[in-house]
Amino acid sequence: MRLAEGKSIYEKLEILSDAAKYDVACTSSGVDRGGSGRGIGNCSAAGICHSFSADGRCISLLKILFTNECVFDCRYCVNRSSNDIERVAFTPEEVCRLTIEFYRRNYIEGLFLSSGVLRNPAYTMELLYQTLRKLRQEYHFEGYIHVKVIPGAPQELIERTGFLADRMSVNLELPTAESLRRLAPHKSRQRILTPMRQVQLARRANKNELAVFRNAPQFVPAGQSTQMIIGATPENDFQILSVAESLYRKFELKRVFYSAFVQVTQDALLPSLPGGPPFLREHRLYQADWLLRFYGFEARELLSEAHPNFNVFLDPKCDWALAHLERFPVEINRADYDTLLRVPGIGPKSARRIVRARRMGSLDFPDLKKAGVVLKRAIYFITCSGRQMYPLKMEEDFILRNLLQSRETAPAETATYRQLSLFDAGQMLGPVPPQLLQTGVQ
Amino acid sequence: MIIFQCEDSVDGIFSAVYDAWDSGLGHANVALRLQTQADLELFAEYRMVPTDADKAKKVARSVRAKMGMDAYQTIWQAALSADPGKAEHIYRVLVRGMSARTPATEARRLIWGLQDKDVCRIFELSRRTGNEARRYIEFVRFRELENGVLYSEIQAENQVLPMIGTHFADRFPNEDFMIYDVGHNDCLIHGRARPWFILRDTRPQPEAGERLSEHEQEMQQLWRNFCRSISIEARENRRLQQQFWPLKYRRWMTEGQ
Ligand code: SF4
Repeated sequence: MRLAEGKSIYEKLEILSDAAKYDVACTSSGVDRGGSGRGIGNCSAAGICHSFSADGRCISLLKILFTNECVFDCRYCVNRSSNDIERVAFTPEEVCRLTIEFYRRNYIEGLFLSSGVLRNPAYTMELLYQTLRKLRQEYHFEGYIHVKVIPGAPQELIERTGFLADRMSVNLELPTAESLRRLAPHKSRQRILTPMRQVQLARRANKNELAVFRNAPQFVPAGQSTQMIIGATPENDFQILSVAESLYRKFELKRVFYSAFVQVTQDALLPSLPGGPPFLREHRLYQADWLLRFYGFEARELLSEAHPNFNVFLDPKCDWALAHLERFPVEINRADYDTLLRVPGIGPKSARRIVRARRMGSLDFPDLKKAGVVLKRAIYFITCSGRQMYPLKMEEDFILRNLLQSRETAPAETATYRQLSLFDAGQMLGPVPPQLLQTGVQ
Repeated sequence: MIIFQCEDSVDGIFSAVYDAWDSGLGHANVALRLQTQADLELFAEYRMVPTDADKAKKVARSVRAKMGMDAYQTIWQAALSADPGKAEHIYRVLVRGMSARTPATEARRLIWGLQDKDVCRIFELSRRTGNEARRYIEFVRFRELENGVLYSEIQAENQVLPMIGTHFADRFPNEDFMIYDVGHNDCLIHGRARPWFILRDTRPQPEAGERLSEHEQEMQQLWRNFCRSISIEARENRRLQQQFWPLKYRRWMTEGQ
């Protein structure tokens, strides 16, 4: 070990947050939990952002490594053992104090705790467990905790830790076993998928338990997530999206995150990226991921062996619609919810509003705008009571030309930026506070 | 035309709804407005409605019973909006929903009917107020004062304090905290293990908010450093940051200054 001694809390936080930032998962979503009244904290299922860093990403959790010391040598990682950098470690006490003091000031939703591998996986996992135990049991912290599973740690230890955490994640790192072998010689696909399966099975068992004993302790209630690095290895979008799809289906993951490869170490096996990190590609993957999770799409509807990569000029949904013009136009006053969802410019919120509002009478174009439909994209694909908004040609080139002219919306709908709720604001804030059931202010 | 003028509060608006309905003048001959609304109409008669908690309670209860909780919440949030015309829109929606001729099933769905201009307006106001409240759930920053109280200042457009009190009280049950809305001059106050409440037209002593606890500066510095070091240089995008985090919130925040 080569941990520097006598570092101040300022220096440690600087180094260990800097080293944690390439893990893109930042959400605090997936669990609704009111405070018990005895401790500090609660959780909101929609997730809450508290700030935005200079890269425009949401800051929701105190995202840190326990230590940046690591015995492994993954080629893409700043903390790889062969990298000559200063190594420090927090104590559990320091992590707890920072979490609580930041939380009290409403800076954060909770803690995201990851770590390099100090000595060995079991030793590191034990440190993470001790930290969480202290935070939950001594500091009575009831806010959100996302903790990394260190692959290779004993199953029993992972389970104990999972009863203290809201979310756990094991990073897949790279989309294929082959790439992993090349760039992360100490890791293997098997070693990563094993704890992922363990957590999945433990969650299932816990659900059954909770069905019988309502007060049984909860195991990773906000579920699992993972992350893949995009662009460090030669996989195409179709491969990546298919991997994500099977992680959702076979491992019941809550989120898959994509992280455009940013060169932080020098290594002959890493690609040089003259155009900079592949941010646009990452963005398209997030959009497609969104379509898998909330719009009922399948990976093979969006891409295929023949068309394995996303169109850089057009978002995946518009791209899909253009390739399936025979399904359009869709009649707003009749189409079912799932069909509405497939129209560019209509999302889950606006589709739901349409379905509800038309029970009160038929809808016309101005009403759609009020329901939040992005008309400049939708008009090519819809009719209201049999009419188009303008007489428009249902012709691919014409529509494409027009869609390309309208500026795309910011990446707000995706990923690591804002944590968007799929519900209307009125519902987002939960029920009316009990003491206000009557009227306004006391 | 008889115009019922009321205080700008949920109780005030609901009291006016009660009186206007009860007046027997006919819905077409009455209108509601806030007393703070400036432009007076020439050929109308004004009646000032005193805020009456009992009447407001009756209105609230009946709306919940007939139109349902969702509709009530939407209307409640709209009543906290900064829109000067909100009282009249609320009245029009309630006239439709609460009329004896409107069957219960229709009353419950009424709030979905974006085709109606008053409903649509209420929905919009509610959404806007809700969004702002959500922003403050994210962006409120407390500083710890000498006496251990967590203190925050905000400047909200709508009356968000009633909408965020429950969240913070649930989160910090064992803290004394206070959020002062500079624009409305209202204070949200929570004492350790006690229910929260709002004092209207109350300004805390300005010096009190400046007497910081021993570790406050240190924590603020650590937080600012963290916000800086967590950003990935290769991804820097100030425009995006600004879009999600508008300056009007930033100026009140520890890391935004
Ligand atoms: S295990 Fe690999 S990815 Fe994780 S910190 Fe160590 S070198 Fe980096």
